[in-house]
Amino acid sequence: MSTCLCDAFFDDVARATVEVLEQLGCTVEFPERQTCCGQPAFNAGDWPAARTVLRHAVDVFAGEAPVVIPSASCAAMLSHGAQILFENEPDVVAVKQLGTRAWELTDFIVRGLGVTSWPGRFAGRVAFHRSCHARGSGTGDAVSALLRSVSGLEFVDFDEAEQCCGFGGTFSVAFASISTAMGTLKLDNLLAAKPDVIVSTDMSCLLHLRGLAERQGRPLRALHVAQVLRDALASSEVGR
Amino acid sequence: MKREPIDQFAAEQSDERRTSVRLGSKAGHEKGTQVLHEDYADVDLLRRLAGQIKQHTLEHLDSYLEKAEEKLRTRGVKVHFALDAEAACQSVLDILQARGAKRLVKTKTMVSEEIELLPFLERHGVECFETDLGEFIVQLDADRPSHIVKPILHKNRREIARTFQQKGLGTYDDTPEVITRRAREFLRRKYLEADVGLSGANFVSAESGRLVLVTNEGNSRFCLAAPRCHIAVVGIEKLVPDDRSLSVFLNLLARSATGQRLSVYTEFICGARSPDAPDGPEEMHVIFLDNGRTEVLGTEYREILRCLRCGACLNVCPVYRQASGHAYRSVYPGPVGAVLSPLLAGKRFLELADLPKASTLCGACAEVCPVDIPIPDLLVRLRNRGKQEGAPSGATPSLGGFAKLASMPTAWKAALGMGKLVDHMPRAVQPGPLRAWQGERDLPAWRGGAFRSWFRKRGKKT
Amino acid sequence: MTDARDEIFARIRAALKPLEARTTLPTFDASVAIARHAQAMPDLVAAFTQALEAVHGRAFRDPTALATWLRAKEATLGYVDPEVLAALGPAFATELTLETSFSRARVEDYKFGITRDAGAIAESGTIILDDRSTPVRLAALAPWIHIAVVPRSRIHACIPDAISALGDDANIIWCTGPSKTADVEGILIEGVHGPGEQVALIVDG
Repeated sequence: MSTCLCDAFFDDVARATVEVLEQLGCTVEFPERQTCCGQPAFNAGDWPAARTVLRHAVDVFAGEAPVVIPSASCAAMLSHGAQILFENEPDVVAVKQLGTRAWELTDFIVRGLGVTSWPGRFAGRVAFHRSCHARGSGTGDAVSALLRSVSGLEFVDFDEAEQCCGFGGTFSVAFASISTAMGTLKLDNLLAAKPDVIVSTDMSCLLHLRGLAERQGRPLRALHVAQVLRDALASSEVGR
Repeated sequence: MKREPIDQFAAEQSDERRTSVRLGSKAGHEKGTQVLHEDYADVDLLRRLAGQIKQHTLEHLDSYLEKAEEKLRTRGVKVHFALDAEAACQSVLDILQARGAKRLVKTKTMVSEEIELLPFLERHGVECFETDLGEFIVQLDADRPSHIVKPILHKNRREIARTFQQKGLGTYDDTPEVITRRAREFLRRKYLEADVGLSGANFVSAESGRLVLVTNEGNSRFCLAAPRCHIAVVGIEKLVPDDRSLSVFLNLLARSATGQRLSVYTEFICGARSPDAPDGPEEMHVIFLDNGRTEVLGTEYREILRCLRCGACLNVCPVYRQASGHAYRSVYPGPVGAVLSPLLAGKRFLELADLPKASTLCGACAEVCPVDIPIPDLLVRLRNRGKQEGAPSGATPSLGGFAKLASMPTAWKAALGMGKLVDHMPRAVQPGPLRAWQGERDLPAWRGGAFRSWFRKRGKKT
Repeated sequence: MTDARDEIFARIRAALKPLEARTTLPTFDASVAIARHAQAMPDLVAAFTQALEAVHGRAFRDPTALATWLRAKEATLGYVDPEVLAALGPAFATELTLETSFSRARVEDYKFGITRDAGAIAESGTIILDDRSTPVRLAALAPWIHIAVVPRSRIHACIPDAISALGDDANIIWCTGPSKTADVEGILIEGVHGPGEQVALIVDG
């Protein structure tokens, strides 16, 4: 699943995801009819609309293959949110089945494929922004393990890591003032650690943080973890 | 683009206030987290245990409440039941009037705010004093508390000193020690003159009937030592099955609330004083309050009734830190309030239906809740309820159109292509949400369709 | 009144009726809630003293030292429960005025109150009071300094032990350090409505 954000703005992240999975020996399919996981409507409380979208996703991703997603929040929607959304629905079983096959990318790499260290090289100070929907999942530990194992990568800590970046879907516009304040605080904390790049599993967070940083005139290099993993691999191929 | 009310409130708040609330909350969160992890190898295990004990109690509330009532009656305590706020206030007044009591001192109890007890009693000629320092200051100021545990989180010492001066408690002095000393002296007289001491309860053990009061200042001890009558107003959800479970709850509560291992005073009360004791109430009353709790008990939101009122969720919440308690327009603010307040509002649910929207569903609250309440799940369920009951969408963009698009792949792909137009549209004519987004943030370049054509092309190569 | 009671119980039962699966009461070992530092405490007196001092309380083992401390603080007039006079010893009253009855009218005169206790908890540094041991509630509460006489044999190891030993007194108070508040800008102030000094005089027995 490429996610609607990557479909619209972040094609390189989706590309990197495919390349990383193929490097690990996976055959990657991209069902063309896919659209969105339904989370925006679910979070907004428009459950009938969310069900429509999710039913489409269940149809598109029917089968047994793991569905790998470069987004912890979309993965959480399929594995957790969807259970609540469909708890009284006749097709809850199909929805649950999809949920058991939905994986955030790094969680899939570490817990799904058993890969715990990453080859190649990625030089620089990396601040990992763990997205909120990764809470309670294997993603945080997975990213941490993979990134720390990359040669040349310096994993830096920063303050108030548990505080949300402030995106929150429609929250970002309906509560624009609070969203901006939260994002600005997050930027302050991230940048105080003087990272070379900020990495996340979620482009939603990075869309918001990068958007804010650019508007505020603060330089910020931000990458999705798939891009870091792909770039590290690429450097090993070139023999750097 | 419009703003949601809580966002509006946050934006209009003074920087000073925002900073007081944010840093105070942050300090509370950090201290609590530190002590919990210092003392316990598996904090989550304890939270889940406490959550299950509470859930079990709620799901068997009729039998536990009955047990507690019976125990208390055996100890000579007069037990009353109040259906709603009005009934509870009247119950309290009836007890006062039966004793010819005119002066009341009270400890900190959220329930008394919920039923608006003091204005009611004062209208009926009873002189009332809050004795918790923060609540006392709130009372002097005719203000409202902004946090469940730290009522004047939003005030600084200068504001307090000015209030004291205005209310005749001495010339302006903003030294915290002086402020505290003045409150001590003033309230001491009030305790000794009072006819009735009123409290809430943090827990009621069904096994022994004991009310457990958790405090730090000594005010609740004074309310139970000087006056001759004790009235406790307690929400029915405060029941715990037995004394033994209190070791779990007391350890979690103090650490989660203030980073202390135990609060300074933990009182276990199950009756009036013995007849020959010189101090203490000769008569004790407990008023068990419903006020919407039974309604919540019958819904899929019932887990919120586990709440211990520790305030940990407020402390960690990034939205609370920006907005402060008053933004929630109700007695219970923060994450717990965003769930509980609209629910307790009963028929007036829609008036507070915007509260559950004031969240990014980040889940930090659920991680710190000592009774493991899945607050984000409850918030999202309430958003669904709000929408179904026709709550105005306010400043929240409707996603019906997006959802339609997302169930029609051909239209979706077409939109990916057309989206490029956004890059060339002047902001003023862009759709509302995009315009609002760009109020404070840049939007990246549109790349719709780029990944798909890349994937398609490489497929053709092989 | 009975109507309200019946109505509330009826509402509770109606609310719970549709619930198919009910959460069972979990079984657990009481030790799960015991803090790490209290898992092993070979010397309860030492552990209690340490925990009491950690919450800014004070422990004395020698009544003479306690008396000296009181005089140094110019706390020379106080209330004493007559039953603890023996534990204090005859020399205690030197340069101190001890009154064995407590008068509400003179509540501000007493600079200290010395009372019996109903036990203590080593894990938390808690002094336990109840109506049986401290029926004059104000004596342990109003003066700036409260001193509880704590026989070593009554020190419980942990909170679960103290809870099992709660007994049937109608008014049990666990005092863990001096009264405090952080309501004003989060600044910790000790001595609010209750004592500003919480003292334990540990005695044999």
